[in-house]
Amino acid sequence: MTETYELLEHTADMGVRARAATLAGLIRPCTAGLYAVIGQLVPTGDAQPWQFEVVGDDIALLLRDYLGEVLALFAADGQLIEIREVPEFSAQRLTVLGLRRPADPQRSIVQREAKAVTYHELSVREVPGGYEAVFIVDI
Amino acid sequence: MSETYAGPLERIDDTRWRIPRSYKPQMRVDGIIYADDTLMETIRADKSPEQVANVACLPGIVGYSLAMPDIHWGYGFCIGGVAATDPEEGGVISPGGVGYDINCGVRLIRSDLELADVQPRIAQLVATLFDTVPCGVGRGGRIKFDPGQLRRLMVEGSQYVVRAGFGWEADLEMTEARGCLPEANPDYVSRRALERGEDQCGTLGSGNHFLEVQVVEEVVDPVAAAAFGLRVGQITLMIHSGSRGLGYQICDDALVDLRSAPKKYGIELPDRQLVCAPIQSPEGQRYLGAMRSAANFAWANRQILTHLAREVLASFFGRSAESLGLRLVYDVAHNIAKMETYEIGGRKRTLCVHRKGATRAFPAGHPEVPLAYRHVGQPVLVPGDMGRCSWVLVGQPAAMEKTFGSCCHGAGRVLSRTAAIKAAKGRSIEKELLARGVVARARERTGLAEEQPEAYKDVSVVAEAVHAAGIARKVARLRPLGVIKG
Repeated sequence: MTETYELLEHTADMGVRARAATLAGLIRPCTAGLYAVIGQLVPTGDAQPWQFEVVGDDIALLLRDYLGEVLALFAADGQLIEIREVPEFSAQRLTVLGLRRPADPQRSIVQREAKAVTYHELSVREVPGGYEAVFIVDI
Repeated sequence: MSETYAGPLERIDDTRWRIPRSYKPQMRVDGIIYADDTLMETIRADKSPEQVANVACLPGIVGYSLAMPDIHWGYGFCIGGVAATDPEEGGVISPGGVGYDINCGVRLIRSDLELADVQPRIAQLVATLFDTVPCGVGRGGRIKFDPGQLRRLMVEGSQYVVRAGFGWEADLEMTEARGCLPEANPDYVSRRALERGEDQCGTLGSGNHFLEVQVVEEVVDPVAAAAFGLRVGQITLMIHSGSRGLGYQICDDALVDLRSAPKKYGIELPDRQLVCAPIQSPEGQRYLGAMRSAANFAWANRQILTHLAREVLASFFGRSAESLGLRLVYDVAHNIAKMETYEIGGRKRTLCVHRKGATRAFPAGHPEVPLAYRHVGQPVLVPGDMGRCSWVLVGQPAAMEKTFGSCCHGAGRVLSRTAAIKAAKGRSIEKELLARGVVARARERTGLAEEQPEAYKDVSVVAEAVHAAGIARKVARLRPLGVIKG
């Protein structure tokens, strides 16, 4: 299963459904889907190493916390994340290694203000051929 | 993604529907939805009634889990939801009952200008407002606050920025809670929340936030309209904005902080977005301290936006804001939780009233209604879409008896954003609005398409439903002439 995402309709907001062959593979399309909700974001400038780690007991909550951090980084600092490696994505831990770079204000098209990644209809589940994650972004 | 609601809805009368407590074993009270038959058709089409039933499961909920006629699907609580909880009976505070945009709200400014003064120059006026009032995604403001100032602003709200010169003392009297909730505690606001909000006080934002130039087209209640200083043909300004990135992050932080609270306090929840904690618990107090900080930030934000709009109009017409009569009619919050006192069964009880997409609607005689309006009641501001109209209502005594002093807050969406964009393909929303006499400017490419009039219910139907229910009475209808959006 290739890593893909699609945007989902929601009355006031927008959802993302991402699919991948492995759990760890979900992180890249989920990140891309979140950025697609915001607009067309293009990185620029020097890349800095970036690492995120969260522990818990619910795989969907770990994903939400990761996406919440990615959103806050963009909203507060205009930083975009490029995933390099996901060493662990289990019900107990999510570790993501990547690079962060500023969004290019000239080439990026910001279409929506994403307030938060919500818990509503949040899910990570196994599907034939891989895994699927669904989350809704409050606009 | 939405499914239709298949649970029970029992008609009580022409404007009220009951979800009986027997629907779910965890429900502690009935759910009541205010809607007429037409609105109920669209309400059944999503799962928002299920959310009304879920809120009825919260510990310490008093009376009913309520929803106003502009109800639609939200997160945990539906939009248009109202719930009061009693701290003396284990009542909880739930960030989902306030929403991400803490103290999103509306204010209305009247003027001495007539339609004839503005209509011939509306395009230039809208362009000037668009160039001057910061709007759009993440857009920083012209007015900067250092960390110490920001902290005081979160404690003192509108009062701090009025003292700093961004408004008039009289504005405070016409702002709900005088623009400041007591017991705000910025110590509970995270560094990330401060980063998201530090340059956003005095910015409109995006999405459904707007600044609109309007004309009073119809007066339904001449006595209340006269008290509010409104008359047919008069120009008004309406501002819709909230606590910006600061509030979004405070809500997000609280949902993480409270994640373990239900287990700790033995609370069973039907939806994890309803996460909550007893009001008097450390977790509950942390959220309330931070939420109040965001609420005060939002009032300061709308106050600065008012100041900027006054500056634009003063410069545009070559007269002072005072001589243009740019007086604040009222400012209401519609995403907030507040401690309020109600008489229930002959006993006064101080309750935590959650309003999530619902407006306070206090009646005549209530001590929190400004003196100038106390003989008629509190103005209730109900914005509609940018092509049709908005309404000014006035709170009625029945609101105190039935809805914890609450009313609707807007029109409510009917089209998703993607459906709205599809519906706008091959059309120019800007030109269509112009044909209806509305000059619109938006910062984001998709802004006008997503916010097109057809994406919303007709707010007049919503206003009529609350009028018929007796919780607020129609006062005046305002028609848009120009709008700026993020």
